[in-house]
Amino acid sequence: MRGSGRFLDNTMKVDWFFLLLVLLLMSIGLTLVYSATATRETIWYQSLWFHQGIYFCAGCILAMFIALIKIDYWKKMAWPFYFMVIISLTFVALGGGDSAKGAGRWIDLGFIRIQPSEFAKIAYLLAISSWLSVHPVSLIRLKSLIVPGLIFIVPFLLVLKQPDLSTALVFTAVTLVGFYWAGLTLIDLFILLSPVFSVLLSYPQIPYSQILWGLLITAVFFVLIKYHYPKKLTILFLSLTIISGYASSMAWNSLEDHQRSRVMTFMDPMRDPQGEGYQVIQSKVAIGSGGLLGKGLGEGSQTNLAFLPEEHTDFIFSVLGEQFGFLGGFTALTLYFLFLWRGMSICRLHLDPFVNLVVAGACTIFLFHITVNISMTLGMMPVTGLPLPFLSYGGSFLLTCMMLVGLLVNMRYQGSQLENNYKN
Amino acid sequence: MLDSVLKNDEKQDRNFKILIYIATVAIVFLALAGRLFYLQYIQYEENFQRSENNRMRRIVLTAERGSIFDRNEKVLVRNRPSYQIAVLPSELKNRDSVFQRLLRIKDSTGARIFDSASVDTAFQRSRWIKHGFLRILEDASPEQVSIIEERSADLPGVVTLVESRREYPYGTMAAHVFGYTGEVSEEQLDKEEFKNYSLGDRIGQKGLEKEYDHEFRGTDGVKFIEVNAFGREVGLIQGMGIQEAIPGYHMVTTLDLELQRVAEEALPDSVRGAIVALDPRTGEILAMVSSPRLDPNIFSLKRRERNKGWAEVALDSTRPLTNRAISGVYPPASVFKLITAGAGLENGFLSRHSYMPKPCTGGYQFGSRYQKCWGTHGRLDLVNAIRLSCDVYFYQAGLAIGMERINEFGERFGLGSILGVDIPGERGGWLPDSASFNARNKRNGWRWARGLILNLAIGQGQLVTPLQQAVMVGSMATGKGVYRPHFMKELRSFDGKVVRRYEPVKIHEGQMSAETHQILLDGMDSVVNHPGGTGRRAALPGIRVGGKSGSGEWKKGEKTHAWFVAVAPLEDPQIVVAVIQEAEGGGGAKSAPICRKIMEQYFFGSVEDEEKNKKEVLP
Repeated sequence: MRGSGRFLDNTMKVDWFFLLLVLLLMSIGLTLVYSATATRETIWYQSLWFHQGIYFCAGCILAMFIALIKIDYWKKMAWPFYFMVIISLTFVALGGGDSAKGAGRWIDLGFIRIQPSEFAKIAYLLAISSWLSVHPVSLIRLKSLIVPGLIFIVPFLLVLKQPDLSTALVFTAVTLVGFYWAGLTLIDLFILLSPVFSVLLSYPQIPYSQILWGLLITAVFFVLIKYHYPKKLTILFLSLTIISGYASSMAWNSLEDHQRSRVMTFMDPMRDPQGEGYQVIQSKVAIGSGGLLGKGLGEGSQTNLAFLPEEHTDFIFSVLGEQFGFLGGFTALTLYFLFLWRGMSICRLHLDPFVNLVVAGACTIFLFHITVNISMTLGMMPVTGLPLPFLSYGGSFLLTCMMLVGLLVNMRYQGSQLENNYKN
Repeated sequence: MLDSVLKNDEKQDRNFKILIYIATVAIVFLALAGRLFYLQYIQYEENFQRSENNRMRRIVLTAERGSIFDRNEKVLVRNRPSYQIAVLPSELKNRDSVFQRLLRIKDSTGARIFDSASVDTAFQRSRWIKHGFLRILEDASPEQVSIIEERSADLPGVVTLVESRREYPYGTMAAHVFGYTGEVSEEQLDKEEFKNYSLGDRIGQKGLEKEYDHEFRGTDGVKFIEVNAFGREVGLIQGMGIQEAIPGYHMVTTLDLELQRVAEEALPDSVRGAIVALDPRTGEILAMVSSPRLDPNIFSLKRRERNKGWAEVALDSTRPLTNRAISGVYPPASVFKLITAGAGLENGFLSRHSYMPKPCTGGYQFGSRYQKCWGTHGRLDLVNAIRLSCDVYFYQAGLAIGMERINEFGERFGLGSILGVDIPGERGGWLPDSASFNARNKRNGWRWARGLILNLAIGQGQLVTPLQQAVMVGSMATGKGVYRPHFMKELRSFDGKVVRRYEPVKIHEGQMSAETHQILLDGMDSVVNHPGGTGRRAALPGIRVGGKSGSGEWKKGEKTHAWFVAVAPLEDPQIVVAVIQEAEGGGGAKSAPICRKIMEQYFFGSVEDEEKNKKEVLP
């Protein structure tokens, strides 16, 4: 049976394949940070790639520690963590934080500066998983969504106020996947999200938006009837979808011109070629000029990437694309895919819904960051500040990633004896 | 058995979810890979050409910093063009040969233009700083610029820039008021309030330049240009537009250039001290001098000379960097007797005809201690005690009134706390009473004793700034409250529109009875205009000047600090002048004449002024 420690698990086996993937991604990241920033002249221990390496080592130790802690302990600690994070997010939201670098997101403890929204990702993941693992949700029993909705909305709004839209959207993604795992079907999710789709379709830049909106209403109606949703629910979601569509187009029209243009620039950076669009143009040119095999390590950055101020953080994928071409970009995507696949396969080994929810949520956090960041560098999505896991320079986020890796390693073999019993 | 079936169902359901999840990931990643392929294979030629020809450069158009004018719109601080020779990291190729060539370039006198250390530093930094310019020669002469321009073909990545630098045409005049500009430091850049600044920006580091940096600064613009292989501008990029810089605001100050000039001349660099002249009705500061001075122009020079000049002023033991008028704290000395007298009158301890129990016999016996007076004055009433500045009279008055009441009266006129003048570095001074004295001296164990009142009643022991001293006497003379002293009169946009005007702010009521007010005015009058008054040298024919002298003791055996504060005309005070000269002797003898000179300029001007009065009008 399991080890005798009070909260440490000492029957640990380690998923070496998974760790190898992390190590490969990390070494690509360090190489890119090195080529984007380091030079012969900088003293090596002051260079950014070395800092990043230090953070990686610290992250490994943290991950190891996390991997050793028993799952039960995580279940118990989920709520204290969650409330601690809520308190610190509130503290930051009320302006108590140190507002370095634009938005007020940091708490300065003197010896270390904490960015609570980073820890919030993990604490929220544990909390929502802990709740959903014992309280399955169902669209037909709308009440079952109230408590998880509250658990979600509080940190969501607090992070949104910072303002940090992209982190707030990370919470949303985790929540949706959690709901899926805890009982909602894909159809349920479609119905649940239909008001959101309706709002998005009211955005005037979308071609044929009115026709599409009509189609959406029809589809919602059809689905609600076809799958025999209760009448109340049908009326509720149909009217919600219609009202939210009208309300948002009214809200859109009541916006001041400059506010509207800010939203439009966010959605389409090319509208502002001097500001954010400038970065996206440069990023696309950098990646495209890499060709199939790239210009080679350290090449190209002098001419092209000199125009990218954030090349080693948010736009690291552009460095990869320019220097290693399609080969490099595709390799990174493949490694990420294997990483997520290997991560998700943990779910097969466990019946414990808590483990399932945590694993799916952790993978979603990674997936969301990867997708949003790479799409941004390819000019497919708005410019948000989401970094690329293991590749972007940045200490706090790397620590978060390593903690998630620790959780995943932890959950792979711990308690999976259940599975063995079941096989026999 | 049933259990196993249930688990089987659950397992299938879960595997289906995993499948959906992985399929979603696969679709998303395929889309990303497709886009990657599109950019890197199908659009490769186009993108590659664009990157090869990517000679687009983002140029920040630095906004012109606003100028500073005196109250008559004569220019006090302006900008001058300054040529910079810099390297552009992204264009720098063949570093070693360019480096060698640069060092070989000589001007017509045969001297090397560049010094190897600064070129070397810039080249080192250019390897990791890829944005903006790295200067290798600041403030280049026109000759140097033309030499570099001639050889530009051999020097790819080396460019000349025109920047505008601050110029203080009157040199050290009012240097402490203006402050100076310097490059924004990296520590500053880390802070929230500097988030709109970037490395290399010049920023006000002291005085008005710092306080109103945001207003002077304007808004930088940006343009996108295309450059040729040598890094020279070829033209604007089509479709990227240009965002013009908006120049910063000009400031019309309350300073009066001619008055400032007279004040500066009255206090040479060899004397340590300060002068403040202001209008007590509004708080407008007309002149402010702190001596010794510094020349703010050194901060606009090239790095090496700047560092040298900085080292000189920073290490000077007379501390020329300190603005003594607002940051220097001194004992108020006998000027404080006005406060003691006022507190006595307000609290019913004194009246116009109060005589003290003991006449002045040249000193006063308090317990075992014998406190001297500076003269022998005999039996005096209050006005005459002020006129002669008799210590013995005020020893006894102070003992009767008590420090709490005296300090409370002082606070009504702005003593003991900062006044909020609009340049940084102001100090608030200190008015001790038994509680604050004990608190302050906790560590060295001194305790409050009644005998200390003797010193405090005549102003030895408190700390005030020259600015506070001027504001105190000025507001006491007007009797209409204390107005916040300030330099900013108006801010104007570059096209001359007034965007902000300083409205006078009353910070203390300065309340006292009409009787008290009149007695204090009579006291100040007698100091200057009556025989034997200590401030006779401040008298100005035709104008009724009032004032009070002070001789601050600060160290045994040294000459006293010479204070004089004058206010005029007493019927309707328009100007108050406070002068302090450190360790120069008696206030009446040394500082009263300076007050007189400044008042004379204020009321009568001088003939030469008319010629100098050619206005440099605002645009």
